Amino acid sequence: MKRILLFCIPALVFVTSCKSLDDYDNVNPKAATTVPGTSLVSNAQRVLVNTLNTPDYNINPFRFYVQYWAATTYPDESQFIIATRQINRYFWDPLYRDVLSDLNEGKKLITADPLTTISDPAIKERVRNNQLAAVEVLEVYTWSVLVNTFGDIPYTEALNADNVLPTFDDDVAIYNDLVTRLDKAIGMLDPTAAGLGTGDLYYSGNVASWIKFANAVKLRLGMTLADVDATKAKTMVEAAAPNAFKSNADNAKLTYLSALPNRNQLYESLVQSGRNDFVGASTLIDRLLSTNDPRLNEYFKTVPDTTIYKGGVAGSPNSYGNNSAPGAMLENPTLPGMLLTYSEVEFILAEAVERGFAVEGTATEHYNKAVTASVMEWGGTEVEATAYLAQPAVAYASAPGDFKQKIGTQEWIALYNQPTQAWTEWRRLDAPNLVKPAAAISAIPLRLPYPTTEANLNVTNYKAASAAIGGDEVTTKVFWDKF
Amino acid sequence: MKLKIKQKNMKKFLLMSLFLLSALLHEAMAQNRTVTGRVIDATNNDGLPGVTILVKGTQVGTATDATGNYSINVPEGGTTLVFSFVGYTTTERAIGNSTTLNIALGTDARQLSEVVVTALGVERTRNSLPYAATQVEGADVTKARNPNFLNSLSGKVAGVNIKQNNTLGGSTNVVIRGTKSLYGNNQALFVVDGVPISNNNTNTTNQTAGRGGYDYGNVGADVNPDDIASVTVLKGAAATALYGSRASNGVIMITTKKGRKGSVGVTINTGATMGVVDKSTFLKYQDQYGAGYGAYYGPDEDAYFNQRDMNGDGTTDLVVPFTEDASYGGAFDPNLMVYQWNSLDPTSPTYRQATPWVAAQNDPSYFLKKAVGTNNSIIVDGGNESGTFKLGYTNTHDTGILPNSEINKNMVNFAGSLNLTPKLTTSASINFTKTDGLGRYGTGYSSFNPMQQFRQWFQTNVDLKEQEEAYFRNRENITWNTRSATDIRPIYSDNPYWVRYENYQNDERYHYFGNIVASYKFTDWFDIMGRVTLDSYDQLQEERNAIGSTGTSSYSRFNITGRESNYDLIANFNKNITEDFSFKGLLGSNFRRHRINSILAQTSGGLVVPRIYSLSNSVNNINPPTETDQRYGVDGYFASATFGFREIAFLDLTGRRDKSSTLPEGNNTYYYPSVAGSFVFSELSKDSPWLSYGKARINYAEVGNDAPVYSIFNVYGKQDQEINSSTRPTVGGFGSIPLYSLPNTRNNLNLKPERTKSVEAGLEMSFLESRFGFEATYYKSNTIDQIIPIQVSTTSGFGATYVNSGEVENKGIELTAFVTPIKTDNFSWTLNANWTRNRNEVLSLAKGTENLVLATYQGGVSSNATIGQPFGTIRGASFVKNTNGEKVIDSDPESARYGLYQTGPSTTVIADPNPDWLGGVSNTVTYKGVSLYFLVDVRQGGQLFNLDTYYGYGTGLYPETAGLNDLGNPSRNPVVENADGTYGANSGGIIFPGVKEDGSPNDIRVANTEGVYGYNQPQEMNVYNASFVKLREASLTYSLPESLLARIKPFKGIDLSLTGRNLWIIKKHVPYADPEDNLGSGNYGLGYMTGSFPTTRNIGFNLRFRF
Repeated sequence: MKRILLFCIPALVFVTSCKSLDDYDNVNPKAATTVPGTSLVSNAQRVLVNTLNTPDYNINPFRFYVQYWAATTYPDESQFIIATRQINRYFWDPLYRDVLSDLNEGKKLITADPLTTISDPAIKERVRNNQLAAVEVLEVYTWSVLVNTFGDIPYTEALNADNVLPTFDDDVAIYNDLVTRLDKAIGMLDPTAAGLGTGDLYYSGNVASWIKFANAVKLRLGMTLADVDATKAKTMVEAAAPNAFKSNADNAKLTYLSALPNRNQLYESLVQSGRNDFVGASTLIDRLLSTNDPRLNEYFKTVPDTTIYKGGVAGSPNSYGNNSAPGAMLENPTLPGMLLTYSEVEFILAEAVERGFAVEGTATEHYNKAVTASVMEWGGTEVEATAYLAQPAVAYASAPGDFKQKIGTQEWIALYNQPTQAWTEWRRLDAPNLVKPAAAISAIPLRLPYPTTEANLNVTNYKAASAAIGGDEVTTKVFWDKF
Repeated sequence: MKLKIKQKNMKKFLLMSLFLLSALLHEAMAQNRTVTGRVIDATNNDGLPGVTILVKGTQVGTATDATGNYSINVPEGGTTLVFSFVGYTTTERAIGNSTTLNIALGTDARQLSEVVVTALGVERTRNSLPYAATQVEGADVTKARNPNFLNSLSGKVAGVNIKQNNTLGGSTNVVIRGTKSLYGNNQALFVVDGVPISNNNTNTTNQTAGRGGYDYGNVGADVNPDDIASVTVLKGAAATALYGSRASNGVIMITTKKGRKGSVGVTINTGATMGVVDKSTFLKYQDQYGAGYGAYYGPDEDAYFNQRDMNGDGTTDLVVPFTEDASYGGAFDPNLMVYQWNSLDPTSPTYRQATPWVAAQNDPSYFLKKAVGTNNSIIVDGGNESGTFKLGYTNTHDTGILPNSEINKNMVNFAGSLNLTPKLTTSASINFTKTDGLGRYGTGYSSFNPMQQFRQWFQTNVDLKEQEEAYFRNRENITWNTRSATDIRPIYSDNPYWVRYENYQNDERYHYFGNIVASYKFTDWFDIMGRVTLDSYDQLQEERNAIGSTGTSSYSRFNITGRESNYDLIANFNKNITEDFSFKGLLGSNFRRHRINSILAQTSGGLVVPRIYSLSNSVNNINPPTETDQRYGVDGYFASATFGFREIAFLDLTGRRDKSSTLPEGNNTYYYPSVAGSFVFSELSKDSPWLSYGKARINYAEVGNDAPVYSIFNVYGKQDQEINSSTRPTVGGFGSIPLYSLPNTRNNLNLKPERTKSVEAGLEMSFLESRFGFEATYYKSNTIDQIIPIQVSTTSGFGATYVNSGEVENKGIELTAFVTPIKTDNFSWTLNANWTRNRNEVLSLAKGTENLVLATYQGGVSSNATIGQPFGTIRGASFVKNTNGEKVIDSDPESARYGLYQTGPSTTVIADPNPDWLGGVSNTVTYKGVSLYFLVDVRQGGQLFNLDTYYGYGTGLYPETAGLNDLGNPSRNPVVENADGTYGANSGGIIFPGVKEDGSPNDIRVANTEGVYGYNQPQEMNVYNASFVKLREASLTYSLPESLLARIKPFKGIDLSLTGRNLWIIKKHVPYADPEDNLGSGNYGLGYMTGSFPTTRNIGFNLRFRF
């Protein structure tokens, strides 16, 4: 008997300490299975602004492309080398996988949200519609950036986890659908009810602001189509113009925080990293100098140990010590990241007048308002703006070139902190005239090639899309880039 | 074969067995004569315990006790006793009229009954083994005194591919018979006395992909080499099927030494090793040009130096471009006085002084120290009739070649067994290892790895001795790579001494594993064993980036706790059906439970107070720490049966059923069988004068594998999903606003187990009294339904999704041979050789997928699994070759790359990291007490992409970048082309070998500037053959003769040995580096070299005393 007892010891250990397999539910206890839909929208909002405005040349090389900046020691990205660091992929991936995917999931969760804190079913419906419409506006905005950057892209079949081989849609068709969706969203927005609430990183749930933003997006999309579909552009611009931004207070932006990890990406790159990767490009600095631009001292620092401004050579390695570095304002961790500004709205309206669209005011008025808004956005005063605009080289009446050149040049200066949109507007207006850097491996890209991951993972559809757009090259034009 | 065993059925079976037992006891009553005696070992006259004694023709038997004595009741009619014991020749003796029968057993030259420890610790005779199993004796493991026993298996076992690296205490990759799982674990399972120990490491993904981090080693190394009695390598699925899911990668079984019965013995071991850098594995620097990327400096950006008044005398001085981490600058000239980094630090003796522009007197090899290791251990063991014990303590202390690096290891182990009754045996063991690491080497492409600056981004004018003095003067980061002449903070590279003494890491690991076993022998043919094992570790890893370093200062701590428990209940049967037919069987269950907990917390936004490493010293509030809590388990039931016909033929059948918690319900139970047979044909010609042993064997087996934990249900991640976010902290929220995101990888509710099917056939033969023999094995395994987080187009909303898909095939040949050309009483010479060839091929992937990117690396290359290719091919930009196979040069004068090699698609396979074959040859020559041993380890084939040369050639560090060109002039001189196409007297420039686009030989002379030898060329230019031939181990051992020992009384043995490891790389193709050096264990980093550490040649001595 004693022996049997002894033998039982291990058996006892066995029985007492071994948890039944049925107790393992295989669900990560440290992760959430249900979350508020708005928390995914917040994340998408953050990633969207970061991706479009980051100076991280692994993700966003556009400050080099439009020759705002030049590189110091490592000039590869400013010479349009894209493949080595897969820059196109790191621009594409966050927009699809994080922004659009989270917006899409957020929409599902919002639709299913019982909104238990609201008792009235009618109000419930209006709040839900406001939330869904805001998400829709963000989606439209994001899709348009992807089309502007790549041309044909997966759209109707995208964001379906069960289809990892989506076909690419024609860029024109996508734009048309975006316009329809945007109009529907604008119709759903109801300023009498609440929106996304405090989770909304742009407008803290203010629906009236979203209506203005949605119209500003419509204005931008409309004008983007102007060269290829003037009728549609006219209709859109005329409908949206009265309802878009009225001042800098309306700007769609993300105001960063002073603490990590939510500081402006510029701060992370220019200050926190301890690196000196960038100096201003002579292309922009020379222009700012020649017109006594009041934004110069905000855009750039003086050459170390001097009081002068000097830009580096775009596409070449440059000495940090001999050139002007990006300005002190960019080193403010809480500098807002911009999605769309009042200044851009006014530039669009100026162009609308020139194109004969029925919008209020003259081109000069809108042009002046646009430039003034930009100067003030950068800490300048109305007096400074007026003095600046009075110069013959700046004044709308006397500035050189046609309306595209006049507006394009000033918009290029104004979009200094929105490199992605600056690149798009430069391609659309073909102004200012940027010269391909001598050391560049290609012409200034007119689009980004599809990521190699697409070429590898979605082979057939990738090939079809490449053929459809006329070759997966940086020189292939996006459909609206007619000239 | 499908075998279903329900727990209920097993209980029934046990009850039945009890009945049988009582029936047998009955039988044992009919006896009438007693014979006693002692069985001894013929070679040393020691008593042999555990020898089986059978009365021939009956079932009556007994076994010898601890001292070799026995007593047996011989039934009427019994005339002969049969003495058998594994490893010894079975001997029959007629009883006659004697009542005492003493016998000496001789060892078995035919190897028929050589014992091999197999799965679940079952001891089997070699001739009954139907699969390949290589046993390495403990003495062979410790020959070269490698503190990590895993590394000491390299070159010794066919079929095993061991990749060690040159970091201090780094992890070792042990893959048996090829990479099978595309994403899962491919490391062999380690089992120490029945306790499974994972060989996984806790290194970050970034570390394994070469983006920086520390290699914390793997726990498989926590076994004291001096405590190892033998190591058995079970290679194929048939050998390991009983271990279930996790043994699909092969098993390395370690049997530790047991206490000896009889007297108490004491073994003391003491040794020391010293390692010196093998110069062929560290770079040489060109000594003609210093800092800079070219003539880009000065007021007009056309000079090699900047200009500035540095000493305040009102005239401008020449200033080195401090920001530049390359050596394509001005030509050295001892008469040229320039202001260098050492003129910037106010405490420097050369402050505000110009110094001659010359190559550094002390290049970075000055930085590397001698590695020193000591090893001391004591083992006390003993035992008597009723039990044995063993208690050991070992301390190893190693310092590395980098300053401020050390690893200290203390190991205590205890093992004891107690025979409570003759039938009930209990035993327990506990092993405790405490590892303290300080200043492990930063690896990969990271500022924490000094090799990044030394091999890739450096100025050849920087003197390391001065850097050392600069740091130690005030313990400040006085770097050569400042932001400017006035801002002496670091820009890209820190002072390497600062990195080692300030940005150091430390870690401690408490690792304990052990078991409790009870075994009850119901009869001589039936016993039941119950066992509980525990493998447990608690680890703390702390990493720092001090205030004043490049990047944001930070402190992080990572606590990880891992527990694995196994509960085994196994019934063993061993019964001869008739005299000719034997049967062995086992029935068992194994319940395995895992729990891994970790928490990673780090400061945010920098540190406030210098040199305080605490989370509370964070500038911003810290972000939520990253927590993991993994719990999973597997329940397994298994059975095996071995049928034997005489000693000639054996048939093995096994079956196992596993149920895993990590798979979805409905798909979580899976079965797998094995069938195996062996045929000992030498038994048919026993009297053959030349054939000592011959066996043919063949088997088929399947093993299943479950899914990674938590890969079934989707959850939301509260973290930043941005690309390149790996270096960024987790984002809990935007201020107080929570941020949630869909995870990057989509889980899958329909996963099913991954399966490996394998066949194996082998032949073992030895000749002339086993003076010469060989073993050959062919195997083929196919792993199907792989559970892979397959990378998908992010347009689907996810970056990856788990699927069951893909098939990987491994097939290969293993050859082992030995020969003892000379064997006399005083002199012997033995040669062992092994050779392995594995061919790996990805047969299929997910539908529509041709290629899986396994990892992307710095330098624009990636690791891939492509259909029709072996695992882990490196892709990058290739050369463009014409139809004749010649490399084409870009011949377009307008092109920015004019005169350089044309660049092919960036997704071309440019390197295959898999070796063609591996081999090892060892020689042992023994003369009286002196034994000389050496091992040559060979790896043939396989390639690697070298980021060190990709950047380092580009930045002009290496001598190749500063030699004379074909004109006999310094190649870095400017190209001076005359109007007639000839070149000026001093023209520099280089012509890359190749052809122009029109097919004519290349004659385009390009300037030798930054990048042309490295990163401006296709990546393929920096692909190297990774073959090597190494003198891996050597030792000279002297054992004091017994005659001498008899006079110095207390000693039973004194052995003195001189050892050497990695003494000589006889052949290699990778310049300035060790082709074997890699980033650590795991699937990634194969065929990719970055921030490589040099090899050390280790020489040591060791003294062993036995009392």
